[in-house]
Amino acid sequence: MKFKQLLLYLLQSFREERTVSAPYHLLKGKRSGQTIQDVGLFSLYAYFGILPKLARTRFDEAIDELVQEGRLTVYEDGYYMVHQTINEAPPYYDGWHYRGHEHVFFARLSLAVQTLSQQQAGDLRFVPLQKDEAVQQYVRDFLRWAHYETGTIGRVLKEELMLVCSELSEQQAQRLLLRLSGAHVTGYSWAQLALFYDETQLDTQLSFVSVLHTVLAHIERLNVPLLQALTQHIKVDTVVTHSALQTAQLYNEGHTLEQIAQLRRLKISTIEDHIVEMAMSDATFSLAPFVNEQDVANVQMLVEQLQTRKLKPLKEHLPHMSYFQLRLILAKGGRSSC
Amino acid sequence: MLTEALQRYFGYTTFRPGQQAVIEAVLRGEDVVAVLPTGTGKSLCYQLPTKLLPHATLIVSPLLSLMQDQVEQLKKMGERRVIALNSFLNRAQKQHVLATLSQYEFIFTSPEMLQQPDVRAVLQTLPLSLIVVDEAHCLSQWGFDFRPDYLQIADVFQQHGRPGILALSATATQQVLADIKHYLRLNEPFELIQSVDRPNIRLMRERFTTQEEKLQWAFSYIEAAKGAGILYTQSRKKCEHYAQQLLARHVRVAYYHAGMDMYDRQLIQQQFIAGELDWIVATNAFGMGVHKDNIRHVLHDVFPATVANYMQEIGRAGRDGEPAIAVLLYAQGDEQLVTYVATEDIPNDVQVDLYTQQVDPYDIVRHGAASDTQFRVLHYWLQQKNAQQVKHLLGELRLEKRKQIEAMQQIVSTAACLRQLVVNAFGQVVEEKPTECCINCGATYELHVVMDKKAPLAMDVNWQMRLHALFPL
Repeated sequence: MKFKQLLLYLLQSFREERTVSAPYHLLKGKRSGQTIQDVGLFSLYAYFGILPKLARTRFDEAIDELVQEGRLTVYEDGYYMVHQTINEAPPYYDGWHYRGHEHVFFARLSLAVQTLSQQQAGDLRFVPLQKDEAVQQYVRDFLRWAHYETGTIGRVLKEELMLVCSELSEQQAQRLLLRLSGAHVTGYSWAQLALFYDETQLDTQLSFVSVLHTVLAHIERLNVPLLQALTQHIKVDTVVTHSALQTAQLYNEGHTLEQIAQLRRLKISTIEDHIVEMAMSDATFSLAPFVNEQDVANVQMLVEQLQTRKLKPLKEHLPHMSYFQLRLILAKGGRSSC
Repeated sequence: MLTEALQRYFGYTTFRPGQQAVIEAVLRGEDVVAVLPTGTGKSLCYQLPTKLLPHATLIVSPLLSLMQDQVEQLKKMGERRVIALNSFLNRAQKQHVLATLSQYEFIFTSPEMLQQPDVRAVLQTLPLSLIVVDEAHCLSQWGFDFRPDYLQIADVFQQHGRPGILALSATATQQVLADIKHYLRLNEPFELIQSVDRPNIRLMRERFTTQEEKLQWAFSYIEAAKGAGILYTQSRKKCEHYAQQLLARHVRVAYYHAGMDMYDRQLIQQQFIAGELDWIVATNAFGMGVHKDNIRHVLHDVFPATVANYMQEIGRAGRDGEPAIAVLLYAQGDEQLVTYVATEDIPNDVQVDLYTQQVDPYDIVRHGAASDTQFRVLHYWLQQKNAQQVKHLLGELRLEKRKQIEAMQQIVSTAACLRQLVVNAFGQVVEEKPTECCINCGATYELHVVMDKKAPLAMDVNWQMRLHALFPL
């Protein structure tokens, strides 16, 4: 899916209830209360932070183009209307769990592949294409751990990659392989790949993120110990903000929300924001202390009926529930998978 | 005995011209200035002594990419006691490196790092056998205005009892040499100046009335050329634009500039070295760390701002000693563009006054009245001199830049021998004129090139084949 298509899809997902900038903050992975809550409210976990380096100018350009093409209207106040329905769902992303770390995984993988390819070619005197010292150190440790001196793990890594790639589409596997280098094969730059696939460089990078997320999901599931060893600390399971992390600690120690607010000298509403963040991030987080099962079912049904995730109309139908309770259920219920 | 060590540590049987004299002086503990053309084994001049001297060698390198390249080359040779102390390290890594610095033989660092008190403190207590100042011409060429930190290297080490300093450069005019000796406070240094002349590179030049004619000539030349080449241009935009035009002419080309991410730059460089690409369209960011001996052509879309830059860039051609061609392209009006780019970073008098009037001088950057580079220049000089003196100095600097540009303009316009003019600019004379000398001496574009084309695996092969190519076993 091209960048502009994705933007339309996201604008559509925000149901015209936010300004046109909302997808920008989402794709960048902005760690603000609003963006993080929206991730839960509109169920946009997949796209959080998949383009952390996206330039605002590039985003604005794409919006302008969509307007010129008559697919979007942006109003003075920043709100907008989408004129074209995007039915095609975007490819697989899991931005919430990877947050840009997928590129660290790729850096490790590419260096491991380069090294083992050189080893098979019988020439370990080469210049690593990955310059990051932390990545180099990680791969050195990895190779030692895997006993690369036996000379056989290149073959094993090849088999593991074969297994993972056969789970991907032909083109996805090709995109992955075209970025890798070895003794007699050199990878291609974004510019070269964009030309080859006849797309913009941003589109190429965007598909590559999807390829990496898909690859990471398969690695987690398949029996591929070498690849698994390259994914350490790539997936994040903690709450997003540092402040929410502190709240989580106190909450897990058994303090009530009021006590936490007092201890941390914060407003109770801020603590509630943190609890919502925790519900979104932690698969095992239990809603039981805050809402009962009947409430959860009611809210989910109402969301279906009204076709909205706006809090106000929901609250009008369920006046006995607090906004906090509604947000919690939306946060938790909005997740397709944990 | 030295040759024995050369063989033992590096596997070579003979020294290249100049190396032995430099190494002997270094081993005697003297200060040394060595000017050796690029690609003639400058690094060996400190690598071998380091293996023979009792303590570590500190190498100060002005460019991170250069430092990284030298570290990699040493590691590639199997040397493990190498460390780069630079801004790539985070705080914890830096502390760790500083605490364990004494285990290393080769310590690379940048002029900026040398300014940091904790780095200084460690280095001042560490026993060193040798201090190397690499690319020492930066001290004069940029250090003067853009890299003020480089001027302060000498302050880090006490004049009494400091180890010998080896200043290395590929290109240095008499004036630059004087600057090097002065700013580093060298003590009656041993000097070795190899000729800057590269007789196997033909110096060609083509002049046009319009930009369009110039570009068409360049593109046609590249389309017909045999062997690898670099087209240097000034901006990232032009790089991308020219590469696109050349791709349309089916040239195996890619662009390279500092705006690309690091991995992409490495991939393009690797494709070029492997012979999978014939041409690179690049800004001056390209060249360092490109260990490719058989580059046959270097084209300049616009002439460089100094003769030293010109020599360094064309010097990337023909490292294998075989004939190569350098073409300097010119269209009317190019000098204005070059002058603008070369002098835009030098602050003007108004900015000097603004700086002195602010409570927080950095406000002039915040308010858009000066660039970051301009601010750094102002900040450095205004701490040492008063406003009037700084204005005078900056005026001289602008004048000097213009003089450099004029020297290049002379090369653009002369009807005399280009080689003589270029070599004279470094205070040297051409010792022996090659038969194929320059455009004004009747040199030709005929080149017999042994092709080193390597067809890479096609991009559209299926992933299984690509994986198999990576891992044949």
